[in-house]
Amino acid sequence: MLDHILSILIFFPALAAVLGFIVHKDSMRAYGIIVATVEFVLSLWLWYSFDASISGMQFMEQANLIPAFGISYLLGVDGISLFIIIMASFFTMLGIATLTETRRIKDLIITLLFLQMTMIGVFAALDAILFYVFWELSLVPMLLIIGIWGGPLRIYASVKFFLYTFTGSLIMLVGMLFMAYFYFQATGQWSFSLLEWYRLILPENIQAWLFVAFFFGFAIKVPMFPFHTWLPYAHGQAPTIGSVILAAVLLKMGTYAFIRFSLPLFPDASVFFMYPIAVLAIIMIIYTAMVAYAQKDIKQVVAYSSVSHMGVIILGTFALNVEGITGSVFLMIAHGIVSGALFLLVGVIYDRRHTKLMSEFGGLAHIMPKYALIFGIMMMAAVGLPLTINFVGEFLSLLGFYKQSHMMTLLAGTAIIVGAIYMLAAYKKAFFGNVTKDENRNLKDLNKTELLGLIPLTIIAIWLGVYPQPILEPINNSVESVVQLMHDKAISPEAKSVIPSIAKFEIQEAH
Amino acid sequence: MEFYLYTALFAPIIGSLFAGLFGMSKKNIIAGLVPTALLFVSFLASLKLLIYILGGGEPIHVELMTWMATGDLYVPYGFMVDQVSVTMMMVVTTVSTVVHVYSIGYMDHDKGFNRFFSYLSAFVFSMMVLVMSDNFLGLFIGWEGVGVCSWLLIGFWYHKESATWAANEAFIMNRIADLAMLIGIFLVYWNTGSIQYNEAFAAMPTLENSVLTTIGIFLFIGAMGKSAQFPLHTWLADAMEGPTPVSALIHAATMVTAGVYLVVRAYPLYDLIPDVGVFIASLGAFVAMFAATMALVNRDMKRIIAYSTLSQLGYMFVAAGLGAYWVALFHLMAHAFFKALLFLGAGNVMHAMHDELDPFKMGDLKTSMKWTWILMTLASVALAGIYPLAGFFSKDLILEVAFVEHHYILYTVLLLTAGLTAFYSFRLVALIFHGDDRHSENGVHPHEAYRFMLWGMLPLGILAVIAGMVFKTPYFEMVTQVLPAIEYHIHNHTVFWIMTIGTQLFVIAAIVYAYKKYAKAVKVDKKVESGILYQLLYNQYYIPQFYEEYFSKMYRELSEMMWKIDLKIVDASVDGVANIFYNTGIKTHTMQNGNLSTMLRWMVVGTVVLLALAAAFTLGQSETVVELLSELGVI
Repeated sequence: MLDHILSILIFFPALAAVLGFIVHKDSMRAYGIIVATVEFVLSLWLWYSFDASISGMQFMEQANLIPAFGISYLLGVDGISLFIIIMASFFTMLGIATLTETRRIKDLIITLLFLQMTMIGVFAALDAILFYVFWELSLVPMLLIIGIWGGPLRIYASVKFFLYTFTGSLIMLVGMLFMAYFYFQATGQWSFSLLEWYRLILPENIQAWLFVAFFFGFAIKVPMFPFHTWLPYAHGQAPTIGSVILAAVLLKMGTYAFIRFSLPLFPDASVFFMYPIAVLAIIMIIYTAMVAYAQKDIKQVVAYSSVSHMGVIILGTFALNVEGITGSVFLMIAHGIVSGALFLLVGVIYDRRHTKLMSEFGGLAHIMPKYALIFGIMMMAAVGLPLTINFVGEFLSLLGFYKQSHMMTLLAGTAIIVGAIYMLAAYKKAFFGNVTKDENRNLKDLNKTELLGLIPLTIIAIWLGVYPQPILEPINNSVESVVQLMHDKAISPEAKSVIPSIAKFEIQEAH
Repeated sequence: MEFYLYTALFAPIIGSLFAGLFGMSKKNIIAGLVPTALLFVSFLASLKLLIYILGGGEPIHVELMTWMATGDLYVPYGFMVDQVSVTMMMVVTTVSTVVHVYSIGYMDHDKGFNRFFSYLSAFVFSMMVLVMSDNFLGLFIGWEGVGVCSWLLIGFWYHKESATWAANEAFIMNRIADLAMLIGIFLVYWNTGSIQYNEAFAAMPTLENSVLTTIGIFLFIGAMGKSAQFPLHTWLADAMEGPTPVSALIHAATMVTAGVYLVVRAYPLYDLIPDVGVFIASLGAFVAMFAATMALVNRDMKRIIAYSTLSQLGYMFVAAGLGAYWVALFHLMAHAFFKALLFLGAGNVMHAMHDELDPFKMGDLKTSMKWTWILMTLASVALAGIYPLAGFFSKDLILEVAFVEHHYILYTVLLLTAGLTAFYSFRLVALIFHGDDRHSENGVHPHEAYRFMLWGMLPLGILAVIAGMVFKTPYFEMVTQVLPAIEYHIHNHTVFWIMTIGTQLFVIAAIVYAYKKYAKAVKVDKKVESGILYQLLYNQYYIPQFYEEYFSKMYRELSEMMWKIDLKIVDASVDGVANIFYNTGIKTHTMQNGNLSTMLRWMVVGTVVLLALAAAFTLGQSETVVELLSELGVI
């Protein structure tokens, strides 16, 4: 079974979703929770059986799909993708368990299970076409979730989300086709296998072109400035569950793809574009943090803060050294946990008051102390307090990039200031002061279901902040091999000097 | 000894978590007693360690576990107890035990009693992590931890707008400095390859001077935030919104001295860059005077003491900057005792006066609050630096340091400030405890604090008296095993005596003047008060207004503008692109209207276009097109 665990992880939720059509409406929730829990347990089993000391791909599966073009069903995980997969199954489970939606619940759960398939597919696929298929398929359930269960502007928001990311993906697809063609030219064989692509060394100018093509697909997904404007609409209109999964998992597809595709395939181009991308990342960090500060709607604050944090992730990725990339992968997990929790928390108050405007609240700490406490912990995690999960990622990302540029890191480091400004201001508006609105006087504190969702997240946010090693170590091992691959592949001496060579691999070679 | 180290470190957090369990229930005295008891345990463990170190024991160094390891970076949870950290541990645990005992009485009627102790003990834990860590990042954990606890405690009464505002101000201003600190840590890592103190400092002498200077500056900016040095000082006075025990512990005795501790801890670095040291000392002297002047006219009891703290921190930085690290640490210790005492006394007065803070509305409290009066006077005498109290030994030493090091300007500034210090301290004492009764008319009937609170304060009173006289020699012998052992003596005996006696006389004159002016009936001189100088000082040199106007407001407005840009430009252009396609579709759909003659017309257009393209490609196969296409692999 372990030989096919990735296939099982991908297709079990899809199969369950199809079977879900015959489940009765009233038992759908229970069914959804059971399926998602089984899936989560399976993903934990994957972690348990994962050998952290191996830096390469594990649990690989391969089957030819279109041999004439070298398209195959190729799966595998390493330390970089493993934890995002676990997080995807964790959030699906948590999301279904804490669902408060009552409209068309059956359809919603089926959609979510289908979404889970596509998410895990993206992070497990090692064939470009397979990756692309899951990447695009993931748009459909999210389109439905926003378009059916969303707020008043849901149609506009969902169409915008779909078309915008779809356009970017098409440019990426063109890039993939060219990449395969170049592979064909070089070797006389067609292949879309990422592992085979890794071995191909491309001339610098071609790297640059392909880098740009892939960049559009990934940057819109992340979303990077100036392609980020679909996100506030999507979050603003999406139901809680949609926002949680969007922020926690879907955005990570973009940053993950940078590490999986752009960096190892185009090392010289990555070095060439390092500074321009860092500039974009810095704009993302400061600019969206300022926009977040101007927001009146608490969900928009969290939405823009997501963009700001993604900026740090991008910066860490383009540090092109082990510290930075490990930090950025870790921050993907951290941001997933924290922003997922923050969206759940916003959902809690929206369920009670049907508004997200901070001016409608004030003094909530008096009425809902448990809520205020968990929100406070998550807020501190979001501003990157040491011993919470985000700090590890932010620190390592910034530390890594400091090697590349002092000034830019100083600018990007303002993330810890501007982040504190909007978060504390929002918290103050919503939780501090006196209760001014009568509607707020009788609000109920967190109930059992909500606590069920939030307590695990709180525990993870602190546990991995205090002791990040269990996931930092596997990430580190895989990142080291990526960095070494880039160093070996890089053509220009400049790129060779920017991308460090890992000492321990050199020692191995010497023996 | 490891056992004692862990006990000293972790007892406070256990207390905090215990009190936290009661956080959302009604006031429970247990939630106050258990953390206090655990702090006392922590104090005893620290004392045990101190005795061990004093007895010539080797510094203790332990590693609990790995925190982060990636690439070449290795960060453990490592702790050490050496001569410097044990001094800090003693200061922290002593003052916090006293403050905990005191708070049981002070917070008696507060409904957030349980929560308060949870935060307060969490603070002590963070502070212990800060002083005991053996690496920069461990220090940073404590550094940020005390920041959060300070945020929680300043904003403890979160229904008050002013309190939550001050809490956020403190947090954000500290964050600005923390960024510099973080950059300093990055620099240390990439240049020395380690963030462990011993390894990093060992590698430093080989580094270039410019690199060291940059590291020194960035770390010092970090220190400036926590120690509220100009221009990051405004948060400290506003932090007085917190409950008074918090002001005593965090904003006088411990957290604000963390910056001084950092400079002392990093002495191998600052020893290599004396120029930065002179800058630190100059800034310190400036702040000492700057803060003292603001304290002269202020009408808020707690703010006066806060400015006094700021001023004394300036003194400490002068010593640290001039390389007299042990003197800085010594003044830090002595100051912690008498300043915490002063704040706790102010807390008693506040309770008696129903939270009145203006000393002009008090007067003649010495009859009803005799013990508080004695203790506060004692603390003020110590602060003024009168022989033989603690301040004399620590503060006059800093003056001597400046003199011996030939920094006569700094010496003069510090000397003048000493006079100002004596004046504002006794202005406060005179206004509160002497003169005519100005509070009865407001219907206030003062009462002395609980007996156990006064007993609780007593240890600080004793320490304020003896800390200088008794501790100086053993302290010097202990810390100079680590820190540079430079004795500051003015060799010329006549000069020495003239200076010492002169300073004493000057200070006493300032005290007498303050008593004369304020201990009798208080006359408010309208002319002085409307003068520019008075207004300048009273409004804190208009710096808070300046910050509000040019930073807070600007940032707010800029943020609003950014949001507009996001909607009106960035997003609108995306929609614009989409609309081009949409509108093109709308406009051109008439082409497909099914009318044969229209279709034929378009067919002709199409043919012409195709022919034109064909002609263009065959005739003018331009070099660039071919090149581009071949590069992309099309042809």
